[in-house]
Amino acid sequence: MKRRAFIKSAIATGTVLPFMPVLANVNSQSPQAIWIENGEPEQLLSAALKEMGGIGEFVKSGDVVVIKPNMGWDRAPEYAANTNPQLIRALVKECYNAGAKTVKVFDRTCNNPRRCYQNSQIEKFASEADAEVDQIRQNRFEKIDLKEGVLLKNWEIYRDFLEADKVINVPIAKHHSLSHVTLGMKNLMGVMGGNRGSIHSDFDTKIVDITSAIFPQLTIIDGYRVLTKNGPVGGNLADVSLKKTLIMSPCMITADFLALELFGHSLEQVGHLKEAVRRGLNKYDLNNLNFKKISLS
Amino acid sequence: MAKTRRIFQIIFLLFFVLLFLKARYPYDDSLSSDLFLRFSPLTPVFYFIDTLELRWIFWPALIILFITPFLGRFFCGWICPLGTSIDAAGKLVKSPSNKISGKYHSLRYLKFAILAGAGILALFSVNLWSYLDPLSIFNRALTVTVYPLFTVITEQSLLFLSNIPWLEEPVYFAYDHFKELLMPEEQALVNQIFWITLLFAIILGLERLSRRFWCRYICPAGALLGFLSQFRFYERIVGEACPVCNKCQTECKMNAIPEGDVSFTDKIECIECFNCGDVCPPKAKSITYRWRWKPYHSKVDFTRRQFVVTSGISLFSLGMLSVGLKNKDAHQKRIRPPGALEENEFLDRCIRCLECVRICQSNGRCLQPDGIHGSLLELWVPVALMRDGYCEYNCNLCGQVCPTEAILPLTLAEKQKTPMGLAYFDKNICIPFAENRDCIVCEEHCPTPDKAIKFELKLVTLPDGSSKVVKQPYVIRDLCIGCGICETKCPLPGNSGIFVTIENQKRGLGEPDQEEVYGYPAN
Repeated sequence: MKRRAFIKSAIATGTVLPFMPVLANVNSQSPQAIWIENGEPEQLLSAALKEMGGIGEFVKSGDVVVIKPNMGWDRAPEYAANTNPQLIRALVKECYNAGAKTVKVFDRTCNNPRRCYQNSQIEKFASEADAEVDQIRQNRFEKIDLKEGVLLKNWEIYRDFLEADKVINVPIAKHHSLSHVTLGMKNLMGVMGGNRGSIHSDFDTKIVDITSAIFPQLTIIDGYRVLTKNGPVGGNLADVSLKKTLIMSPCMITADFLALELFGHSLEQVGHLKEAVRRGLNKYDLNNLNFKKISLS
Repeated sequence: MAKTRRIFQIIFLLFFVLLFLKARYPYDDSLSSDLFLRFSPLTPVFYFIDTLELRWIFWPALIILFITPFLGRFFCGWICPLGTSIDAAGKLVKSPSNKISGKYHSLRYLKFAILAGAGILALFSVNLWSYLDPLSIFNRALTVTVYPLFTVITEQSLLFLSNIPWLEEPVYFAYDHFKELLMPEEQALVNQIFWITLLFAIILGLERLSRRFWCRYICPAGALLGFLSQFRFYERIVGEACPVCNKCQTECKMNAIPEGDVSFTDKIECIECFNCGDVCPPKAKSITYRWRWKPYHSKVDFTRRQFVVTSGISLFSLGMLSVGLKNKDAHQKRIRPPGALEENEFLDRCIRCLECVRICQSNGRCLQPDGIHGSLLELWVPVALMRDGYCEYNCNLCGQVCPTEAILPLTLAEKQKTPMGLAYFDKNICIPFAENRDCIVCEEHCPTPDKAIKFELKLVTLPDGSSKVVKQPYVIRDLCIGCGICETKCPLPGNSGIFVTIENQKRGLGEPDQEEVYGYPAN
């Protein structure tokens, strides 16, 4: 229920924040978003966290943390269909260093789950750092009400995700022919139950309906390898571009918005993100972001 | 000896089950899961009838066939896992002794008739024997009945028990181990469970009539091995001290000791279970076993007249089979696993053991035992039904575990270029065409490096007169490998808006089908 309570307060704060611009800027010493490039995944992560004031800003001692990577496809890491396994391992370690009680890593996959967990190498790397990497169990989805939903009024969400104290969303930046990009918002489909295919018609509205109820506390976009074509499955190394980038923000919409630059898209082109901004789900003013761009090396 | 035999039976049974459990992803091919299936003495013989070729992949069976003339039917008594389960069933249902079951004695010819009939049918390319092959029967039962039922009952009861608060901890501990060791994947669900279970249950249930009823009177593998062991050198010797208590006669699993003369053994029937030595009264202990260089001969219970009748019946049934059920509509969905031989050859070579179904990553959702649609011989050969499960792009395991190479062991790269069929859109129901809304879930999932499903942007007019751009998908024939993930993932509730047919399938080492096999026009 902790997470429920959090969602409630998050929604409450969300509604209050726009009227209290002073409050929103209280924490102005740490930036609202970070863009780091030119480094290996572990370096990118630790540099970004340092800028953000350390992992302790997000994970408190005794927390149950869920890390939600994209490992939906039966592909090796080089194909950039799944989140970088080194990044996940480093992140799990960071969470434990901050005193997390348990760190869970899971995804409701599109291909055979065991093949995805194995071939993405996330199972191996995350387990090395002692994360709990379990398969999705069909009986552990819970229907939640979508109070802000326009087309959808309720949807099934994975219980471990709902019950977590903190959620860190770690998508990989990929091309997608329906939604143009798959980033933070699309990655949350991996904790949704039910017939996910049906979300794809009127996608822009439906994805915002659901994700608005389950915002994560931190979003880290893996732009180390970026799949620029044939997404979200990929399968052709020629479509993978090595960008060595990482984007981090406590606001998922902000992180997604910044990541559009990896593809050269504008907000106007990406319907679902535009819809989220139209509904005011962004925590920060996107035109007036306090964000830092750093190049390592 | 009987004790040693029992231990060996259990070891072989466990070995078979172990190989079965090991047939899963990630697959370790240092010990192939189909090894035990190649123990079946019938496989090399019928493979030879089919192709006039002796294949060394059947070495375990060839070794058994080679030793049998010397040692007799030890395979039936010591190795065959179906025989072992029959023995266990006999204990449960309390099989009667030979005093009562001796009356079925005259049915012995039946197994030879079945073997001869199956042989004649095989000459005409009708594969009957594999339905009666003991190892196929056992593996089918494991795949379709025993394993799914065991796992569903275990999982459900553990999950139920985990709801009891004070049991939660230990039950989850047990559950985690169950998931790790016995069922890491999702619950397997396999078609045809009723009929396959029924056959298995009948075979075990026949124990109510007599011990080893199946082995005595029906099993074609037993008939073949029995035929080979008529001169066997290893004999049961009954000493002078025998009080003729007839215990060995009444307790013989195979009724191989004639009522009138207990010093004699019917070598064709004896499966060397050594029960006779075991039940011989301790005072007498007059039964010994030994090698003799001048063995006596046992006559095969199969008369010339019976042979002629059997041949007649098989040829007659051949006529009936060839009438077939001419159902061309049913053909289009009979998609075989990637690398399957050309259909007629495939039906000859496939032994319906369902090892491919067992290892299929879809857990019985894609590959499953077929029913009868176009021909009687399609029963229980693997068919890929795509609506509920699809063929994993990065998986080629079905070909790796096929014991007879009816599914060729393609490399992953070859498999990824072997079309199982071709996908077609049903534009009457496909969402972008029927409802003018974007969807393209099929395109999203299409796994080929250059997607076989692409889409074009079409300006459509909506009922209210306004217009809108919709992404309308289409299939590129040269890129589609018919894996069926599009059909599985289509979000429509019933029929899929995209479906795979056998068109363009590549069978065996040939080229993709154009028109020669099923009469589809080339384009």
